Amino acid sequence: MISEQYMPRAQRKTGIILFPAFDWCITPSHPEREERLLYTRDQLLEEGLSDVENIEFFNPELAEYKDIERVHLCAFPPQELMSESHLISSGGAILAAKKVMDKEVERAFAIVRPPGHHAMQTVFGDRGFCIVNIEAIMVEYIRRHYGVRKIAIVDTDCHHGDGTQDIFYNDPDTLFISLHQDGRTLYPGSGFQDELGGPSAQGYNINIPLPPETGEEGFDMVTERVILPILDEFHPEIIINSAGQDNHYTDPITNMNFTAQGYAQLNKAINPHICVLEGGYSIEGALPYTNLGIILAMAGLDTSHVKEPDYDPSDFVQSSDMNEYIEKICTNALKVFSSRKNWQNVPHGKVVEERRSIYYDTINIGVEQLRRYHLCPDCPGYTEVEAVSGGDGLTGFSVPFNACPRCSQLAGDSFEAASKNKLNKRIILQDRSEDVFEVA
Amino acid sequence: MPIKIIGIDVGGTHADGVLLEGSSIISKAKIVVNHDNLSETVIDLLSRLLKGSSASEVDRVHLSSTLCTNAIACGQLDPVGMLVQAGPGMNPDFLKCGDYLRFLDGAIDHRGSIIKEPSMELVYSALNEFLNAGIESVGIVCKFSHRNPDIELMLSEKAEAMGFRHISCGSSISGLPNFPRRVYTTWINAALKNRFQAFSRAVVDGALKLGITAPLSVLKADGGTMSLDTAMRLPCESIHSGPSASVMGALALSSPGDEYAVIDIGGTTTDIGIFVSDQPLMEPYGVTVMGRPTLIRALATKSVGLGGNSRVTAEDDCYCIGPDNLGIPAAFCSGKIKGATLSDALVVEGFMEGNLERAEEALKLLHPDRDPRDVAEELVMSFAASVGAAMDEMIEEAYTRPVYTVSDFLGRRRLNPAKIIAVGGPSKALQERLSDVFGLPCIVPPDFEVANAIGSARTRPTLTATLYANSGDGTLSIPETGLHMEIVRSFSMQDAEEKLTEAIGLLAEESGITGQYEIDFIEREEMNTVRGFSSTGKVIALKAQVRPGLNQAGPNRQEV
Repeated sequence: MISEQYMPRAQRKTGIILFPAFDWCITPSHPEREERLLYTRDQLLEEGLSDVENIEFFNPELAEYKDIERVHLCAFPPQELMSESHLISSGGAILAAKKVMDKEVERAFAIVRPPGHHAMQTVFGDRGFCIVNIEAIMVEYIRRHYGVRKIAIVDTDCHHGDGTQDIFYNDPDTLFISLHQDGRTLYPGSGFQDELGGPSAQGYNINIPLPPETGEEGFDMVTERVILPILDEFHPEIIINSAGQDNHYTDPITNMNFTAQGYAQLNKAINPHICVLEGGYSIEGALPYTNLGIILAMAGLDTSHVKEPDYDPSDFVQSSDMNEYIEKICTNALKVFSSRKNWQNVPHGKVVEERRSIYYDTINIGVEQLRRYHLCPDCPGYTEVEAVSGGDGLTGFSVPFNACPRCSQLAGDSFEAASKNKLNKRIILQDRSEDVFEVA
Repeated sequence: MPIKIIGIDVGGTHADGVLLEGSSIISKAKIVVNHDNLSETVIDLLSRLLKGSSASEVDRVHLSSTLCTNAIACGQLDPVGMLVQAGPGMNPDFLKCGDYLRFLDGAIDHRGSIIKEPSMELVYSALNEFLNAGIESVGIVCKFSHRNPDIELMLSEKAEAMGFRHISCGSSISGLPNFPRRVYTTWINAALKNRFQAFSRAVVDGALKLGITAPLSVLKADGGTMSLDTAMRLPCESIHSGPSASVMGALALSSPGDEYAVIDIGGTTTDIGIFVSDQPLMEPYGVTVMGRPTLIRALATKSVGLGGNSRVTAEDDCYCIGPDNLGIPAAFCSGKIKGATLSDALVVEGFMEGNLERAEEALKLLHPDRDPRDVAEELVMSFAASVGAAMDEMIEEAYTRPVYTVSDFLGRRRLNPAKIIAVGGPSKALQERLSDVFGLPCIVPPDFEVANAIGSARTRPTLTATLYANSGDGTLSIPETGLHMEIVRSFSMQDAEEKLTEAIGLLAEESGITGQYEIDFIEREEMNTVRGFSSTGKVIALKAQVRPGLNQAGPNRQEV
């Protein structure tokens, strides 16, 4: 037995699901390639984390297709859309949640790939390196199996978490906060502060678009002024961090100035129950250090020695203009949250329409989508979606986990009717309140 | 003509020895160990084994020595001056290895690039301090030195030039990752060198006086041996060779199948090992010594604190066995009965010879109103069930070892032993019950009482070496031989195999491996490296071993 005297002891029992999928890539030279987590794995092994008391490593599990269908409306059968690696990374996130919910650990971090936060409610293929939204799959798994209602997701990836935003847009029980590089300067080009949430969840979607070159100072300001007070007030049962690490100053596809120390401090402040790795493509200069910093912060261990070899805080001093600009962003975010309202007082049967075009950058296709929010005074109401791309398309009826029985019934009836008059290739009923999934 | 090998197993109380010709036993001997003069015990045993045989005909001598294990248990470690470069990462303050641990600045990164050399001022000031304190042994460890041993080797030269007698570098002990384990292993190795070298010289001299000119080898914890020369450089590898001797002994004495478990039942503890395709399951990193994790390569054995002499207590509807050792069981001694043991139950059940009346009386202490025969049956079943549970745990641990690729993840398989081989004192008596509880055939080989000595004799040399190459950076390192060299961009897995084969050749020479040996390549990783959307080369990681096994598999193995 390793004695506690000779290895550090984590204050909080922390589980790490580490699955670098060394034999999976989008294409061999894509940022999402085999070697992405190689140096992270090497650093974590060399640190001897597996011998630290109260830190435990786990292999992932395979998610089931029904876990994915609980969240996504797929234009094709999921077996055709995704590979085993997607079931493994979703399963890794689910396992992180199970370990925490079953109280085997206090904190868990799924360091898995492929990532998921650009995968939206409807799925036609790979978008922003993502096919399935592994956090969203985990969130709905937690709700289905553990009865948890209020969940906060803080997305600290440099790219706007547009997929996660889309999936929970009309759900006032999910607070979604995304910190990211301003969409005018980076993929996916969304994540502005007027994206407040759907008609039943206004003010529960908080975007914090930061200017390029934001560093520790800017992130600290956002954390203190916005994230912590909002989390406090929302009072979630579970906090999840979509722990993308591409705000790092060495990241090759973004323009921010964040650091490993910064990620560690941010994680300490947010204190999430579960972290799920998202992006981060500085695979040598950042990821080994940022992942280690996050793990040590989660476990309550000393993070003061986690520094990139070339780290010098004086390289990242922000201008006063930039600080003022970020202050304004913070003020706006607080306004959004304080203006929040949910479904109460909406007239029953009212339908709000929303049209959009969704571009799939990885596979280069466009999808035209019409979403109808069927409002209800007793619940967030069900959503009807029509999405078409070329000859492919789907019509989906999605009932949220917190729906009232009447909305569940109405969505079911609409599904039956649409199945008879089949306009799209796939007609889907996804009723989370009953955990029912049907395709016609 | 079959070769003659002497195998010696030095235990806590007794030392056993056998002289084998092929696989048949020519002589056996057992003597009491003198821990204050272990070399004398070894020489005494050698001379007893050689009675009637010619010393010059002995081809090899294998020794499973408790010298290091015992020195550790008695706290007889030499002070070591430790130079440690921790680099970025966890705060290294937790490391505790003696009073002379000095941290250096600078760092090596995860690819083995030197980010910054340590300040030589710090190095010399530490080394001078060690000299002034009268320290003879120095340990040198850098984080990521398995990817680039250059800094360690440079520091080693400086220390040697200053006159330190014993220098141990982390990278030459193991090529595995895990910095804290590397630090602890290096420290333990350095702290044992002086003592082990003195012992080795005494044994060599003594053996020569007896006329033995055969090469001497020392048993390791990984089910293999190393030459005495290697052992003098890496004495830490001789720690924990006991379970290795018993597991290999059990293997030598039976003709096992494809997947099987070896159970060594002692007085206080029971050790379990598992074989797959005649290959022992190995620990992922190494054994724990003095509460410290190490990189001392070892068979994966699970030790449970229950054996023939363990104290048994009765709880509501079950029995609690061990971990205390009650001493000699009631059935085998006289005087006051101190409590019940498994051995007493085996005597009551009629599986073992002993004083039935006293054994029954001992069991009555557990349940005064019940028939001791029922109690005995329950107790024996409970013991077997505990061993079964420990084996299940071991199988689960093996199954949950980390995998990093989709194909490895999907290809995972739970081990499923089809047979049990039991050795140790009470094994014959437990044979039937173990078989019942495990639902598997249970084999108790003949000569199981000297299984350890036979294991020591029949074990072959083992070696491991690891290679890490990055053809993008143009560097390669094989830490076990201190190699760090430049390579070309086109360096391939095949080139890696050749380089590692060469390295194993060098180590084999040092290890005194003369005949043919087979190299297994285990654990390979190969990944393209891409920078800025264009391919720059490959990262290749490869591990090779000369696997544990038996020499001279004899024709007269038998099953009982």
